[in-house]
Amino acid sequence: MAEYAIELRNITKTFGSVIANKNITLKVKPGEILALLGENGSGKTTLMNVLSGIYKPDGGQIFVNGKEVSITSPEESKKLGIGMVHQHFKLIDVFSAADNICLGDNSGKFFLSKNRYKKIDDFAKKLGFEIDSRKIVMNMAVSEKQTLEIIKVLYYGAKIIILDEPTAVLTVQETSRLFDILRKMKNEGHSIVIITHKLNEVMEISDRVTVLRKGEYIDTVTTSETNNQKLTELMVGRKINLNIERPVTEKQPPLLEIRNLTVKDDEGNTAINDLSFYIRSGEILGVAGIAGCGQKELCEAIAGLRPIVCGKLIHKGESIAGLSPKKIIEKGIAMSFIPEDRLGMGLSPSLSITDNMLLKNYTQASSKFNPFINRKKGRSDAETVIKDLSIDTPSTETPVRKLSGGNVQKVLVGREIKAGPNVIVTAYPVRGLDINSSYAIYNILNKQKKDGVGILYVGEDLDVMLELCDKIMVLCRGKMMGVVNSCNTTKEMLGLMMTGTENLTAKDGKTPGIAADSNIKEA
Amino acid sequence: MKTKQPFVRIVRRTDFPLWAMIIINIAAVLVAVGIGAILLAAIKVDPFVYYKDMFTIGTIDNRFAYKNFEGLIEFFVPLLITSLALALTFKMKFWNIGGEGQFIMGAISSATVALLLGNSLPSWLTLIMMAVCGAVSAGIYGLVVAFFKVKWGTNETLMTLMLNYIALYALKYFGETQAGWNFFLSGESVRPVFATFPESAWMYTIKIGKFSLNITLVIAILLCALIYIYMKKTKHGYEISVVGDSQSTAKYAGMKVGRIVMRTMFLSAALIGLAGTFYVSTAHSLSTSVTNNVGWTGIIVAWLSRLNPVMILVTSLLISVLRVGCQTAATNFPVIDSNFADLLQGIILFTVLMADFLTRFKIVFRKNTEKEVEDK
Repeated sequence: MAEYAIELRNITKTFGSVIANKNITLKVKPGEILALLGENGSGKTTLMNVLSGIYKPDGGQIFVNGKEVSITSPEESKKLGIGMVHQHFKLIDVFSAADNICLGDNSGKFFLSKNRYKKIDDFAKKLGFEIDSRKIVMNMAVSEKQTLEIIKVLYYGAKIIILDEPTAVLTVQETSRLFDILRKMKNEGHSIVIITHKLNEVMEISDRVTVLRKGEYIDTVTTSETNNQKLTELMVGRKINLNIERPVTEKQPPLLEIRNLTVKDDEGNTAINDLSFYIRSGEILGVAGIAGCGQKELCEAIAGLRPIVCGKLIHKGESIAGLSPKKIIEKGIAMSFIPEDRLGMGLSPSLSITDNMLLKNYTQASSKFNPFINRKKGRSDAETVIKDLSIDTPSTETPVRKLSGGNVQKVLVGREIKAGPNVIVTAYPVRGLDINSSYAIYNILNKQKKDGVGILYVGEDLDVMLELCDKIMVLCRGKMMGVVNSCNTTKEMLGLMMTGTENLTAKDGKTPGIAADSNIKEA
Repeated sequence: MKTKQPFVRIVRRTDFPLWAMIIINIAAVLVAVGIGAILLAAIKVDPFVYYKDMFTIGTIDNRFAYKNFEGLIEFFVPLLITSLALALTFKMKFWNIGGEGQFIMGAISSATVALLLGNSLPSWLTLIMMAVCGAVSAGIYGLVVAFFKVKWGTNETLMTLMLNYIALYALKYFGETQAGWNFFLSGESVRPVFATFPESAWMYTIKIGKFSLNITLVIAILLCALIYIYMKKTKHGYEISVVGDSQSTAKYAGMKVGRIVMRTMFLSAALIGLAGTFYVSTAHSLSTSVTNNVGWTGIIVAWLSRLNPVMILVTSLLISVLRVGCQTAATNFPVIDSNFADLLQGIILFTVLMADFLTRFKIVFRKNTEKEVEDK
């Protein structure tokens, strides 16, 4: 048996003038978990797409089990026993689990066999997975979908499994379950490459770590001989302080109070159920929850983008329920929601940075009756934001979609802060950002907090939230599981609350989410 | 060397300078003309003579050359205005393919005004009333579609398409039904023929020697400038761009998307209705082929010009020369009729799309790497 299950030598891949991978070397032993670590845009996903046949490299060699191969299509990579679980699942929503697996069946039979459900159930059971092969993907939870993806690659005999940021969508408990599965597969001799930028997970699961930076190979280290700080240095290329500060501010009266809020989602199901909470000036309230447990609907309701079924939204003692989005913007409530595709809401991708700066204030920029748009103001705003947040762009007139992910988000956050809001609702502001940009954003938020802005921070990384937020509210299927002080709680506790196992609201006698010094006078 | 490289690869370009963009597009048109020349030669028509006739729209050695220019303007003005109007909605990603119907609505309403008023009012007032009625009625014809789309999410492509036929058959009905109420028809003819407009409904012209310059041409070019400013410099134009780019962003920014969609569609349809008015007041009567297909050709013009008003001016002039030129050339070349214009237009569309592809991507052929050389 060859020493390495996979060996990539000097892989180079360019897109136009952009070099995504430059002479990258990567070796994976059989029965090993290798973590591929790097900031956004460092070429991790590109490299793995080369391995799984989605991209063709411009140069370099690939060896599988010691034999040189050329992978020109995903089909060939499958035949070589390489399976990839993508960050965005490649599943067909309206098909059952079994049918999604059978999609890749090339046995040449014209009809689907009737016993495919049993076959796949048996296969899953043999490997120790729990899955209902008749369940439609649409109705599955995220972790189920991921399990299905893993079964899918194993079903076609993959010996080498690549997982692209598998934990981004999972809770703490689900993550540890996934890691158990990965360890089991490793013991059975599979080779696993896991792409991630969460250092804690790298330390927990991997045997060795290969670090990429800006498309170049940096180093490969043995996990047991390294630590978070060293890995960060390799990844970023310089020393960086990993602590997020949490400035202490004086206690202020509640700024935004939400009482008994109920909101429906697009399908008409209850997304937010009888939720009460409040934000004070100069505080960051975190919102934790599994993906899709009502965060989006909550943000939209506050911004006036989604009608509320019932409940009160009180801003500085005045009700903002039922106001138009424009009126709410004028009251100084800024909402930024970074969706998974990062561009869906808040920015207009084909327009320039200048034009995006004008998005929320183009009507206020000059007199109401002036039909012309004031681009000069937009341009000067753009220049300020580019300078303040060190955005990397050729000019202020570059379309936003041509910027890299981190810069796109800086444009969005920069605009929101430029408007001088008193409440910032921000969902996933660091989604997919590299360490530097993330810390830049934490600093911006902290600065706003010190200036007396109330911040609602919807996040996914619990480690970060515990450091950054003053308090954390946990949602589970649209219901509040309690508000905890981040000084005296743990990640495990939050995880239990997120899945609804632990509910703190029922425990203490007082009604949760209502400030003692509330602005709302009960009738 | 085992790493197989595909023979050709398509690589995205990041930058393409403007001058190269202009050159490659001109080259595309020339290639299309070249292909046309081969086709002409194949049916034993001398392409040089034919093209000379076509591109000069038969004005050389012609005592009545001014007539040809007038014909060109008569075709060019409605096409220009329609293409501009369509570009407005396309920019918003609202697929108005109902230019034909809106044009006919404008033509019918302004004809109604012209025929009912007769010569009772001064000419300028008649013309203004015709323009207003033509624009407003066509605008409403388009607004209905936008309203349904905003209110119930109907498909605008299907609706505008179907409304084209309703307008067309209404026009045909008026053109073929001889009855006392039907003032659209001429009273003097035994066969159903559309009535000629009273003189006060004739569009003004400025005499320059024998040539009479139709003032709609001046208005159309003015409109082109106005729409350029509207799209690029005004808040409305900005809103159209944002709605076209991302509706959720527009809503998030507090824009009233429904209102913007309805407003823009009304404006677009009204402009097309105005084009209809201009056409009938220049032709002095209705006809069942009143549109000259500008509702369709306008779509092509708008896209070939990438929705840029200045480009639309150039492209619609080119297409007009093509059309009118082929018609005049057809009189000298009996073997080839004016439909050759359609053929050329189609070829140009293909070559320009190809040019567009080349501006976005480059094709890279496999290079002989060192190892391959060793293999040999």
